Amino acid sequence: MTEHVLQLEEVTKTFGSGRTEVRALKETSLEVKRGEVIAIIGPSGSGKSTLLTIAGGLQGPTEGEVRIAGERITELAEKDRSKVRLEHVGFILQSSNLVPFLTVSDQLKLLDKVKKGNMSKEERDGLLEELGITKLTKKYPNDLSGGERQRVAIAKALYSNPSLLLADEPTASLDSDRAFEVMKLLKSAAVKKNAATIVVTHDTRLTDYVDKVYKMVDGVLHLESEDGGAKPLEEGRTDFLEKGGNEDGI
Amino acid sequence: MFLAWREIRQNKLRFALVTAVLLLVSYLVFFLSGLASGLAGLNREAVDKWQADGIYLTAESDKSLNQSMMESDLVDEIEADETAVLTQTNLIADNGDVKSGVALFGIRPDEFIMPEPTEGEEFSEEFEVIASDSLKEEGFSVGDELELSGSDETLTIMGFTDEARFNAAPVLYMDLEDFEKVRPGASAMSTQETPGQPAEGGQGPAEEVEQPDMINAIVVKGGQPNDVPDDLEYIESEIFIENLPGYTEQNLTLTFMIYFLFAISAAVVAIFLYVLTVQKISMFGVMKAQGISSGYLSRSVIAQTFILAVIGVLIGFGATVLTGQFLPAAVPVSFDYGMMAVYGAVLIAVAVLGALVSVWTIVKIDPLEAISG
Ligand SMILES: Nc1ncnc2c1ncn2[C@@H]1O[C@H](COP(=O)(O)OP(=O)(O)O)[C@@H](O)[C@H]1O
Ligand SMILES: [Mg+2]
Repeated sequence: MTEHVLQLEEVTKTFGSGRTEVRALKETSLEVKRGEVIAIIGPSGSGKSTLLTIAGGLQGPTEGEVRIAGERITELAEKDRSKVRLEHVGFILQSSNLVPFLTVSDQLKLLDKVKKGNMSKEERDGLLEELGITKLTKKYPNDLSGGERQRVAIAKALYSNPSLLLADEPTASLDSDRAFEVMKLLKSAAVKKNAATIVVTHDTRLTDYVDKVYKMVDGVLHLESEDGGAKPLEEGRTDFLEKGGNEDGI
Repeated sequence: MFLAWREIRQNKLRFALVTAVLLLVSYLVFFLSGLASGLAGLNREAVDKWQADGIYLTAESDKSLNQSMMESDLVDEIEADETAVLTQTNLIADNGDVKSGVALFGIRPDEFIMPEPTEGEEFSEEFEVIASDSLKEEGFSVGDELELSGSDETLTIMGFTDEARFNAAPVLYMDLEDFEKVRPGASAMSTQETPGQPAEGGQGPAEEVEQPDMINAIVVKGGQPNDVPDDLEYIESEIFIENLPGYTEQNLTLTFMIYFLFAISAAVVAIFLYVLTVQKISMFGVMKAQGISSGYLSRSVIAQTFILAVIGVLIGFGATVLTGQFLPAAVPVSFDYGMMAVYGAVLIAVAVLGALVSVWTIVKIDPLEAISG
């Protein structure tokens, strides 16, 4: 298996045609490895979400090649792409990640039902502890704060042990303290689960926690900085995953 | 089922409303079906009780018992394992306290349509009758002397029998031999007359004895109606019943109402679930983005509808049966549980059909829109 979980080769995306044509994405190539966390920053409308949804197989590119875990998803039918998403991709969105009528633990149980969950009980409890939501399992999304909700969303996205974790502005609805906290947890949990992670954000301060920062301007992706801002993880919360860290077997 | 059931539990009011609609519709359907079979029974139970295969009427009568007049010796020309002659007229019987419209049947006591009394005894003397036990509820009892409209004779109730209503009237069974003497207006007999019309009279009793009895029909059981005598027509029992005045019209009306209710419940469920589904489009979109298949989500909506429909129909069924206990006897409902089970199943199926609109909506949801929205 290739080391790169995600490979985009000269991907472009054009919406519409003629006078209404929008070139949302110009020739873009990107590779993300297991355990690597990258951030994409850039102004609104620059094509960040377009890139992320193409990377996650939610829409096809106009040109170019997309591989998730070595599989060329550009050639798959929606049904098969849905299966690739189920097996390999975890999504975290700005909000509404959670099913309103399920408790936190039922959110995860649902994933078991659709065969998306593949964690042992110990792993799951560890993940919940890592994210600090062990005590929330009986609560409904409405009874959680915004930060708690996003932490549950992270747990949900990681519950299937995805090889690719995609987050589109996961902290946009949070105040900056919560945003830092969630970002930190996202990074540490993703690394411990050995997922390749892309975080789209417009908050440049959050990029301190990632390995690489890309900037998107008008559909063109530049590498901003490499390994520069990544801070060492805080001790304590991540202890469990440190001990259980069997990423290779996942 | 996991999603389906949890959503129902979390949104009780919403789903209670859907269930309530299904409950009311099923209640109405069950009640109408009870009414339909009750009214049908009013018309046909006497005929059903004979367990006859068919009936001979005159060809010119156009399947109408009243309009069919024949001589009783025609019975010799009919091939069947068992035959029974029948003559019938409608009149009013009065026991001094209550009056009731009845169907008076003239039969021969040794033939197969002779009823077994469930109370009292058979008729043996002149002007004795066995009456439908539905007359008991109206205030008639064994030993009652009945004054008749259009006749000076009185009849005596010797016994009661069950399942003896014909075309909505309680039946009085009496011996064919005496029948002519009580036929309305028949102080004497004229063979050319249809019942109900006053006789012109003038024929002496001596003439009467020589003539064969006039009857309306010959009821048969067993054998093949191969050689139908001239002027007669063989009619199967079911066809005969369908041609009773008003029977088919009444049945069709009620059946039509029931079918309409099926269509209405399909539409109501479809609309209701569609509204609920539209509210959840973004949630479904996110779930689809996460790789949960349309199939799983659709099955969940179908399961939900099924659960609600079953609950609604069961409560509707219970409510119907309960109501049936408290209805006055005059309301002609009789619950045919087999039929109700079929209608209940159709209602559930139709509700699930209504959910297909939502399934279609779910299949069409593009997860991309949920993500970028
Ligand atoms: N489905 C679409 N149809 C037409 N234009 C689209 C569609 N999706 C995105 N775009 C356009 O592509 C550009 C990039 O959008 P997007 O990727 O959402 O930007 P960002 O996430 O960086 O704010 C925008 O100009 C947007 O209007
Ligand atoms: Mg965006």
